[in-house]
Amino acid sequence: MIPLVLPAESEALKPFVTRLRADTGERKQSDSILLDMDATGATYAGEEGLIAVDGATATDLNGDIVLVRPEAGRIERLLRAGSDHNTLLVTERCDQLCVMCSQPPKKTHVDRFDLLEEACLLANEGTLIGISGGEPTLYKERLLTMVERVLVARPDLSFHILSNGQHFDRDDVARLRQPLYAKVSWGIPLYAVGAALHDEIVGKAGAFMQLEESFAHLIMAGARVELRTVITQPNMGELPTLACYVTSRLNFVEVWSIMQLEHIGFAKGRWSELYVDHRRHFEPVAEALNHAALHGVRAQLFNFPRCTVPAAYRAFAVASISDWKRKYAAACTGCTEQKSCSGFFEWHPDEHAETCVEPL
Amino acid sequence: MKRRSYLISSILAAGFGVPSHAQADFIQATSSGSDDPNTSNLLRQFSQDHYVTLASHRSHSSHSSHSSHSSGYGGGGHYSHSSHTSHRSSSGGYYYDPQPVYSSPPPPPSPPVRPTQPVPSVTQSTARPLFGSSNRAPAPPPDGLPALSGRTKRFKSIVQRVEIALLAQDYYSGAIDGSVGPALRSALRKFQKDRGLDVSGTITPGTLDALMISSQ
Repeated sequence: MIPLVLPAESEALKPFVTRLRADTGERKQSDSILLDMDATGATYAGEEGLIAVDGATATDLNGDIVLVRPEAGRIERLLRAGSDHNTLLVTERCDQLCVMCSQPPKKTHVDRFDLLEEACLLANEGTLIGISGGEPTLYKERLLTMVERVLVARPDLSFHILSNGQHFDRDDVARLRQPLYAKVSWGIPLYAVGAALHDEIVGKAGAFMQLEESFAHLIMAGARVELRTVITQPNMGELPTLACYVTSRLNFVEVWSIMQLEHIGFAKGRWSELYVDHRRHFEPVAEALNHAALHGVRAQLFNFPRCTVPAAYRAFAVASISDWKRKYAAACTGCTEQKSCSGFFEWHPDEHAETCVEPL
Repeated sequence: MKRRSYLISSILAAGFGVPSHAQADFIQATSSGSDDPNTSNLLRQFSQDHYVTLASHRSHSSHSSHSSHSSGYGGGGHYSHSSHTSHRSSSGGYYYDPQPVYSSPPPPPSPPVRPTQPVPSVTQSTARPLFGSSNRAPAPPPDGLPALSGRTKRFKSIVQRVEIALLAQDYYSGAIDGSVGPALRSALRKFQKDRGLDVSGTITPGTLDALMISSQ
């Protein structure tokens, strides 16, 4: 696992964003350069003064864009230079409470959009920046403003924003139609067709209706949408029905991601009532994939280790888990498909992981 | 320090700590472009030794940091579940474990392994160290205070050097305590103004250069 937050000491009085550098190229105003390092970490100096970081080497950190939080004695690695998996968390508030939520929301919100915008502007050429929460669109105005400002200044960047899709309305259509939104995609969850089950899973009455409204607006805006469905015991059997709905009503989506459960957050405590072993009950997934393929909707499986998926459907299983939280079981040693495999979440129980893989 | 740099390099060369690339975002998944994790990182590994401009100052006393890096200083050593950087599905962080580096420390009483080898530091030609490894006072005896973490040691050590350099040039008259207080800030501002640097009151790379504490 790659640490994203590290203990650090800084002389600054308030949080700031900087790029940590260990190379000797020309220093930009926003860079902090390596001064010193030892077995415990590395020390840098930039315009905001000294930063001493523990727990990672200068090589690990080279090129990382970090948020330095002197008051917390930490740095947060917002955009890691060597990674394709960089996600900015814009809020921890959410207006849904999904039964399987991997990162249960909090009531408080700390507005860090200005700092995150600075980080985005420093990003490496062509970076895809993930945005997550909480529910980012609770702060829709701030969010869209940030995205627009960044993309005007940096048309090479793109965003993928995870959202519950509860907050798009008619007034957003014209805005989201702007050409720069071609660089923005939205990852939006839908768990079942029909209000009863979907609303129960997301813990919000009226969520399904609202989501349908939002999809209509997103369609009118020509928005790019990745539809996401986490499989759980309550909705697994509904997957084929959902597939019909997706292919008939929502075939504008770029891709439909069917996702296996993550053993963390609420799902951890409710594992026995939520988890479906897809090795034993793959039929609904297969049916959904067949239907999607037949109707030209691209589908993919997230968090399904490749060897646990029947060979015919293995091509759908992608390496979905971000580098910093991905692990492979000891039993995966020697597997030839590891590079294209999701592996497991760092917090997935080893005893389970070890028993369900067989190297390909 | 030299030896430690090599240790770090060889650990990295052995594959630890090198971020692995993998496609996984739903866009990457379809267009898995060039994905060679080796080239750029490898270059960085071999080049890093040259930029440790303060390396020569650290030598002996840094042994003591082995025992102390994670001991009770502050609260920053732990990752809470409220981690703001983390993705939706994060539970927070995980502490990088530098254990492998500790596995074979040089025996404390013996001198550094290559004492005669000149340290390839940029500092050498352009700036004289304020104090080198030979004339540095031994670590103070245990005083019952909690040991400092690695970051605090490194931080204080550089601030102290700045304090001494500013003291030597009559900009600063406070304590050589390794902490950045109002007196040091105003000394920094005055120094920066006199030298035509950006006046920030912080220890910037330009200020370190001008104080001949480090040089790039």
